[in-house]
Amino acid sequence: MYLVADISVEICAATSCRLCTQFCPEANTILYNNDAGKEKGLKYGSAYVAVDRCKGCAQCVWVCDNMAKHHAIKMIMIDQLPKAALTDNVTYGEKTTTVQLASPVIG
Amino acid sequence: MSLDYVKFSTGFEKFMPKEYRDMVEHGPFGKKVTVSQMGSFKEILEEHPMCAGCAMTLFIRLAIISFPNPEDTITVGTAGCGRLAISQAAIPFVYGNYGDQNGVASGLARGLRLRFGDKPKDVVVMVGDGGMADIGFSGTLHSWFRKEKFTTIMLDNEVYGNTGGQESGMTNRGAVLKMAPLGKKFEKMDMVGMAKIAGCAYVATVVPNNPRRVESVIKKAVLIAREVGPTYIQAYTSCNIEYAIPTDKVMEDAKTVEDDRYKFAEYITDDAKQYLSERYGYKEFLPKPATAAAIPQA
Ligand SMILES: Cc1ncc(C[n+]2csc(CCOP(=O)(O)OP(=O)(O)O)c2C)c(N)n1
Ligand code: SF4
Ligand code: SF4
Ligand code: SF4
Repeated sequence: MYLVADISVEICAATSCRLCTQFCPEANTILYNNDAGKEKGLKYGSAYVAVDRCKGCAQCVWVCDNMAKHHAIKMIMIDQLPKAALTDNVTYGEKTTTVQLASPVIG
Repeated sequence: MSLDYVKFSTGFEKFMPKEYRDMVEHGPFGKKVTVSQMGSFKEILEEHPMCAGCAMTLFIRLAIISFPNPEDTITVGTAGCGRLAISQAAIPFVYGNYGDQNGVASGLARGLRLRFGDKPKDVVVMVGDGGMADIGFSGTLHSWFRKEKFTTIMLDNEVYGNTGGQESGMTNRGAVLKMAPLGKKFEKMDMVGMAKIAGCAYVATVVPNNPRRVESVIKKAVLIAREVGPTYIQAYTSCNIEYAIPTDKVMEDAKTVEDDRYKFAEYITDDAKQYLSERYGYKEFLPKPATAAAIPQA
């Protein structure tokens, strides 16, 4: 098993500074859903990680902790994530994306 | 815009992979995208085998997003880590023998001008420090002396990363590497100084811990190379493997190196300033209005 980045919608959607994706070395990996967290009254939408593209470098954790100072990202063993975003389940829209979460191990 | 080459042939759409459909429908072709929109459009760089956490990968990702017209851009590379990612983007990539990139790019840029006239086709060379400052050194310098109009970008990880850690001309004096166990005996080469002497119209040094700055220098360099002259960007893109930088400390290292030997610096000729302000509306380069003090008293 290996580590991937996991973003807390609750923390991220309170500000969604959109910083982490600018520092992730991998393309199309940290994406944004402008509506995430809205059902809980959170304003800004959240970042999420397409875990099948994440290489587990934890650079985003450093950026969220030290530059954004939001502490929204943790590294977690991929089989410990009940549901996660996978590239196949991402839908691109005009200025945002949406995703159907699924088990990262079973698909 | 020459978007035809990315479009689906009639009847084939449903057979195309999802990534390709996303790219055609929600990619940056024919639109203006910026780094601040990252994460909400489909990028044209796909998966590739470069190491986890590599700063060179991040720089390449940012550079490709920053190309002013990705649909009219051709990249040129050579042996080294960077080509592993650059070749996995949906823009044409030309790859020759180790070090021949600026010779290849010279012919390519000239040929495209003959074929397409005033319609800009941007040629961008992106290669490692070994491929440019050592093996491709004479080809690089000569292309600048000949004022070949294209952009050259050095992915400077201060080592031969792809072959396991030999010193390059761009390695710092004293650096000990796996295959340079006694430490490098000479200073880091001053390629920025040479680019200016050889006649580049725009020269910049940059580090990827400031994505908007990377975007700004890439755009200027590519635009200036369309008509004014050769442009050169030297980017510090650490090799976390050969310099044993923990991957979650790569941006911290970039900041340290930026403060030490990679301060942001930009050199731009007056011709290039005038061109950017007149042609592309760059306000920072508009001629300054004459101040009151300069008007002689009656
Ligand atoms: C003519 C020739 N000699 C040697 C090689 C082997 N080779 C492949 S990559 C490389 C080093 C690349 O170093 P650099 O250009 O600094 O790029 P990096 O991998 O560090 O990004 C070498 C020596 C080659 N491909 N061709
Ligand atoms: S840096 Fe942190 S708070 Fe900002 S968008 Fe990323 S996960 Fe959200
Ligand atoms: S761990 Fe690395 S590859 Fe994964 S999302 Fe974070 S920055 Fe990107
Ligand atoms: S060897 Fe170094 S430069 Fe090459 S991909 Fe790995 S970390 Fe990047």
